[in-house]
Amino acid sequence: MTIRSESIARLARPTRRAAPLGAWLDRESVFSWLMMAPPLLFLAAFVGYPFFYGILLSLQDRPVAHPGTFVGLKNFATNFRDALFWRVAFNTFLYTAIATLLKMVGGLALALAMNQQFPLKNLVRALLLLPFIVPTVLSTVAWMWILDPAFSVLNWFLIALGVPKPGPSWLGNPILAMASIIVINTWRGLPFYGITLLAGLQTVPPELYEAATIDGASGWQRFRYVTLPLLKPIILIVTLFSVIFTFADFQLVYVLTHGGPQNATQLFATYAFDVAMGAGQLGLGASIALAMFPALALLIVVLTLYLRRG
Amino acid sequence: MGATSRRGFLKLAGLGAVSAAIGPRPASAQAKALTFLHESSFIKTFDEYFQKMLAPAYEKETGVKVNYELTSVGSLPTRISTITETGSGADVTMIFQLYPFLFDEKLFDVSDIAEEAGKKQGGWYDVAKEAGIVNGKWKTVPFSNIGQLMNWRTDWFAEVGVKKFPDTWEELYDVGKKLKANEHPFGFELGHGFGDNHGWLYPLLWSFGAHEVEPDGKTVVIDSDETARAIDFAHKFFRDTMLDDVLGWTDVSNNKAWYAEQISCTNNAESILWLAKRDFPEIAKVTDQAQNPAGPKGRFHLMSAISHSIFSFTPDQEAARAFLRWLMDEKQLGGWYASADTYYQPLLHAYDNAPMWQVEPRNIPYRDALATAHLPGWPAPPNRQLAESVAKYVIVDMFAKACAGAATKDVIKNAEAQLKEIYRPA
Repeated sequence: MTIRSESIARLARPTRRAAPLGAWLDRESVFSWLMMAPPLLFLAAFVGYPFFYGILLSLQDRPVAHPGTFVGLKNFATNFRDALFWRVAFNTFLYTAIATLLKMVGGLALALAMNQQFPLKNLVRALLLLPFIVPTVLSTVAWMWILDPAFSVLNWFLIALGVPKPGPSWLGNPILAMASIIVINTWRGLPFYGITLLAGLQTVPPELYEAATIDGASGWQRFRYVTLPLLKPIILIVTLFSVIFTFADFQLVYVLTHGGPQNATQLFATYAFDVAMGAGQLGLGASIALAMFPALALLIVVLTLYLRRG
Repeated sequence: MGATSRRGFLKLAGLGAVSAAIGPRPASAQAKALTFLHESSFIKTFDEYFQKMLAPAYEKETGVKVNYELTSVGSLPTRISTITETGSGADVTMIFQLYPFLFDEKLFDVSDIAEEAGKKQGGWYDVAKEAGIVNGKWKTVPFSNIGQLMNWRTDWFAEVGVKKFPDTWEELYDVGKKLKANEHPFGFELGHGFGDNHGWLYPLLWSFGAHEVEPDGKTVVIDSDETARAIDFAHKFFRDTMLDDVLGWTDVSNNKAWYAEQISCTNNAESILWLAKRDFPEIAKVTDQAQNPAGPKGRFHLMSAISHSIFSFTPDQEAARAFLRWLMDEKQLGGWYASADTYYQPLLHAYDNAPMWQVEPRNIPYRDALATAHLPGWPAPPNRQLAESVAKYVIVDMFAKACAGAATKDVIKNAEAQLKEIYRPA
């Protein structure tokens, strides 16, 4: 092989000094912030700005299409006196607590089942994601038909089992209506839990299970002393996300019941929307929406501290 | 990543951002255009008539292109809120119910257009003035009412010996009991819809002589013997004539139940008959429509007024006014009304005997109901407090809770507390 003299000359030639701006941009600390700038700007524009503008609105008497007047905490005081506001708060906490618990337990069971080996495992895993990826409005319209006694496949089964016609009024009875939205939310959210926990399960080293088996641990003991401790951080993170999404749920209730019957399924998001857009009271609506913030912020802080401690 | 490739990436990203900011080369001068915002109609031929007939005709006559922007049912208030807050998005808009009063500061005074239309076309119904005049000025030009009347199954009513729709609520109740025993119950919405609940509950309340707030717009008077009588009637009406499920119904529910032949009577717009004639002809043959029954203090109907307004920030006010004036001319209005088979009941007397009423005589009660129609919350003047009361379903839930079993005095006290809070002086 002949080494060409130009190649040697090129190698020996000192590299050109980078321009000052280029050198500055090359620094790791500068470049990494530059890469983070677009998503940070996006968050600031579409999350941060609406949040702080919402706080500003909540401190004003602000009818739509009219200038606002600063009223301090008057909107919050109005909510405090409003029995319907407290009913909405109760509904939202109840809905979030039960749906999240069901999703957590159900999602874990689903993940454990999916972690087994069986034919068409990958296809089944993909199909399980469907409730989560189908647009909420579409799946809610389907549920509307399932829950309408005149057309309900559920009621058809129950009547066949001896329940008197026309069967339960799923959306007309306040308790059944709340139960219905909890079930639908659980149905939608289970795949999110299941797939995330499944990913977590697959990071558990099989040697730990082997060691536990050798030591005589039963199935339940392996789950309790091996699986659960290792999955705990993932369970907490998924629960955090699930609580935030469920607490702020809007589409499901808006399409299915619009908060009825008699406000039995009215949540913070739908109530805030009715007041802000239906009644044109942007300030009062913002104060209702902001009522979600303290509870969610507290939850995030508690879970984060717990995770750090772990 | 090497220093060179990192700089190269930044250069490329920078070039891309600049290109995006410049955008495509501007097109050559565009024709004049204005945007006309409308809520999507249940009657598809109505929107099609504008798109295929009126918009092209206007463009041919004036050179101004009209973009007919449709928004989904129920989303118009949100769309108008966004437009008024940002100051852009449409020039002329459909508007309804109490919204002219909420958005009045962002709407032009269109008194000249409204008064001209009234003078040329037989004068306005009084209820049109109720819907269109804000603080002495027409802030919107009324277009129509979408009436909410009784839809009833003539065949099933005939089975219990009734050939003519009952005249009073008590008579309707008696028929309803027999029909429920025959497994043909009634279905009147008591849930959180937009129209089919208010459509019978406000008229029921008024027909017993009750109302929420006095005409002074501040004195809450819902706690009255008249209200209690209306509620007691509603409770027995629900218990003895209806499906239990109505407590959770929204606006689509009674339509579904009608076509599934689950119910024999409901309160609805003309859409039930219109769709039945198209898709369920056998059901259409036995569907009829009638004015609301009368109570001890009279017969009433809900006013669901549709109007057109011009946004005050439209860049070309004259073009928008010219378009609205043209639209309100009889030549345009007549055809547009007729395209929807009187689903939109004209608020000008010139159309009282228009040929369109003879196309489907069963729709005539919707015209006759205009004389006794009022906006929700009547006789209180429309204002932001009234809008809040309607948005919070105060009256609907008062009736619904009583029907679900709560004591009459408790539901009235609850509603009164809500209204007093809403009408609390600032």
